[in-house]
Amino acid sequence: MAEYFCEILLEEIPAWMLDAARASLTAAVEKLFAELGQFSVTTNATPRRLVLFLENVPGRQADRDEEVKGPPRKAAYDADGNPTPALHGFLKKNNATAADLLDGGDYVRIRRTVAGRAAGEILQQRIPQIVESLRWPKMMRWGAGAHSYIRPLHGIVSSLDGEHLPVEIFGVKSGLTTIGHRILANDPVRVTTYNDYVTKLELASVIVDATRRRHVMAERARVLAAEAGGTPSVDASIWSQWQYLTEYPGVVRGEFRAEYLTIPEEVLVMVMRVHQKQLPIRDAAGKLTNSFLAVLDNDGDEEGNARYGNSFVTNARFADAKFFYETDRKRPLAERREQLSHLEFHAKLGNYLEKTQRITRIARELSGNDPAAVEAAELCKCDLVSEMVKEFTELQGQIGGIYAREEGLPDGVWQAIYDHYLPINVDDALPRTLSGAYVSLADKIDTLAGFFSAGVRPTGSRDPFGLRRAAQGIVQILLNRDKRQVRVGVDRLIDLGLSAYGLGDAIKADLLAFFAERVRTLLEASQYGFAYDEIAAAMEAGWAPSLTDLVDRIQALKAMRDQANFLNILDSAKRIANITAGHDSTHVDAAKLENETERRLNELATMVGAQIDEMIGEREYRRALESFAALAPELEKFFDDVMVMVDDEGVRRNRMSLLRKVGNAVTKIADVTKIVVDRSTFR
Amino acid sequence: MSRLTFQDLILRLQNFWAERGCMIETPLDLEVGAGTMHPATFLRVLGPEPWNVGYVQPSRRPADGRYGDNPFRLGKHYQFQIILKPSPLDVQDLYLDSLRAIGLDLAKHDIRFEEDNWESPTLGAWGMGWQILLDGMEITQFTYFQQAGGIDLAPISAEITYGLERLTMFLSRKSSVFDIEWGGGFGYGPVRKQDEYEFSKYYFEVADIDTQWTLLDIYEKEAKHCLEEQLVLPAYDWTLKCSHTFNTLDARGAVSVTERVAVIKRVRDLAVACAHQYLESREKLGFPLMQHG
Repeated sequence: MAEYFCEILLEEIPAWMLDAARASLTAAVEKLFAELGQFSVTTNATPRRLVLFLENVPGRQADRDEEVKGPPRKAAYDADGNPTPALHGFLKKNNATAADLLDGGDYVRIRRTVAGRAAGEILQQRIPQIVESLRWPKMMRWGAGAHSYIRPLHGIVSSLDGEHLPVEIFGVKSGLTTIGHRILANDPVRVTTYNDYVTKLELASVIVDATRRRHVMAERARVLAAEAGGTPSVDASIWSQWQYLTEYPGVVRGEFRAEYLTIPEEVLVMVMRVHQKQLPIRDAAGKLTNSFLAVLDNDGDEEGNARYGNSFVTNARFADAKFFYETDRKRPLAERREQLSHLEFHAKLGNYLEKTQRITRIARELSGNDPAAVEAAELCKCDLVSEMVKEFTELQGQIGGIYAREEGLPDGVWQAIYDHYLPINVDDALPRTLSGAYVSLADKIDTLAGFFSAGVRPTGSRDPFGLRRAAQGIVQILLNRDKRQVRVGVDRLIDLGLSAYGLGDAIKADLLAFFAERVRTLLEASQYGFAYDEIAAAMEAGWAPSLTDLVDRIQALKAMRDQANFLNILDSAKRIANITAGHDSTHVDAAKLENETERRLNELATMVGAQIDEMIGEREYRRALESFAALAPELEKFFDDVMVMVDDEGVRRNRMSLLRKVGNAVTKIADVTKIVVDRSTFR
Repeated sequence: MSRLTFQDLILRLQNFWAERGCMIETPLDLEVGAGTMHPATFLRVLGPEPWNVGYVQPSRRPADGRYGDNPFRLGKHYQFQIILKPSPLDVQDLYLDSLRAIGLDLAKHDIRFEEDNWESPTLGAWGMGWQILLDGMEITQFTYFQQAGGIDLAPISAEITYGLERLTMFLSRKSSVFDIEWGGGFGYGPVRKQDEYEFSKYYFEVADIDTQWTLLDIYEKEAKHCLEEQLVLPAYDWTLKCSHTFNTLDARGAVSVTERVAVIKRVRDLAVACAHQYLESREKLGFPLMQHG
């Protein structure tokens, strides 16, 4: 078993790319398992280094047998069955004799054993390919401009069991020497094994392990915040960002002028988190303090330079923010509405005043004239012409909400403005009120109807206007069933969106198909975790009138599919579907029913059908499916006793109608034939 | 902290880069928004000829003016610009040495290279690189130029742009740009404040919108005229005049969203035409700077 590691030394790589780069590196290296057998793969990264560490690598490939094809049998032997020169040549070339020849086939063949190649040889060949073909989200050229990569490549360490394994990447030759921290230890470091590498770099002020840097930073952050009487205000993404900002895991605390605490908290937090990559500190009561934490690629800040610099920049940023805030507050939101006519929404879709008017109309219809939703809709885009949103675009909506709150507008109104972009991502919260949900839906359906009518649709990974997100946001809101539940279907929402533009139904089918895709994606996602076939089966019975109803039906299917009687449902439905293909009528002429079995099935179908309809009416889908399952023995008897495909067309059609009548009892719930079952699990 | 003045910084940077083989050029005598627009950058990065240059460039950004009231924002600031073509592999080390040359003991500071890519729609140019943070404050833009005037570049130039006021302010621990010392005992505030006030007032309130639109048309026409006469350098001057006139109109709030796109395209078309014609003209001359070094 061998151990291999390599370090690719580059110039500073954008922090946000490194997790993905490590994952693709791992995936690419794991493809070597096919050639070399299993081994363990570890990656690491600092801003300047990509590190790959392979343990328990088989020393060499297993030997393998291989067939070698020679000339056609016809050419290998003459008419008398004697070997021709062609056959002699083939044998000689392969160091074989006639005894090695295999029987049969149109060509002569021999089997030979190929010795496995040494791991080092394979790595030498593959590592450069793997590194060079790593795909980065953005690539650049440098120097002569011959190569394209995330950043210029400086050096490679390549070590197999502590010995140099020469490789060459973009013309750079490997060695066993790297370099320490750019500032703190900018000297060559000679290494042997991976452990030696990690230890020597640590002495040269570089912590190779990203997770360790993250833990050290988290602990330092905690201590520094505690000294300021608070705790770091952390969100999920912060450490994955911070761990790749430095090679040495330092943290420093800074302060901004307390007067800036009068700026809305959302602005302060966003400036610190997004623009400055800093961590705010909150006190015991959760209130923002005027202290914050910043990363430091150094082991200390003896002279207080980093503290001074970070505080200086944050103060400068907040000075700007305060100026914008005070300028904005001089004019109420409502006064900015007319200004929206100068702000273009899209060249083909007019300006934001027109968009506001459409949103308002949709929100009014949708909410049955909810005053908070209507007022919020009228004001929701006004912050787009505020100084604050011009500077901090990410805070659109929130800024409008804050200003509305400070103008003393009712909670229902400012909260709806504040929340109306929500949800943007799958794990975002929904608008906190029903009025907010109305405005969000109105805004999003207006966007979708507008862009679809203008012929702008997402293609592949390109969705510059966020149409997929808008549709997904709508689906998320419509799936919700707490006190903010909006009882409307995608169907009607689309109608409202189209009529806001005075459009007919021409693009409705496209919009429905677009939404159907989002519904499927979201219901398959982890939060719901429904299986693809359950979703497809239930959607077949309709989804656009109500998404919560769709979920109820899927849940019934999910609950039922592993029950023994589900096979009854499935088999019945499949048999009925097969035999009645192309037959739609469910009208049964009782007079034409000839024998007892079919008369009894008809009576049962009428009775059970009525019960099932009632259960469906009450959304008791599971009970409805169970009732249907109970029909199975009768149906079985029918198929045993009654011939459907008789010559008399009247009788035949009547029997098909009877089967349809039975089958249709559940088609309002789902097309159960779409469910894939593994019959072995029912034994 | 050091009593480093604005001109100390300029002089030290000039000396440092001159010692490392840069030609010290003078500022462009036209209004530009950044050192990148100086022909010593925008045109020289095109084609195969090597080029190492450094210069100060007064950079006018009408919309950034604050009447001299904001301690951090200026309608005109000064950049120190370096172009190294082709970009040497040790360019980051050279840069760090330049910080040492202005008196920074780097081990006592925090230096980081954080992703910041650059794109100029009006120049049809983009590049990748970093903002360089000194103790959390951006002091330099570092860009590997990938394209200029819509032309893919090879070799690649490294562009290093120092923000001179910011750096002086930080090094001399001043909390307002107007408190730094320029040199010879003269303060930046007393020297420049009137200028900031008058130009802010001019760009935001006084510039005559009709006149500016007319000038834009005239400059554009003249640029095209020069291009037709195969005089690319004068054509590029007029292109820069167009760009500044557009910035003036923009600061004046006279450019609607739709017009904005259209005007940017007019300027870009000129810049792209200049880039192409410049490259042809250099080729005709046999790329004279290929003899360098």
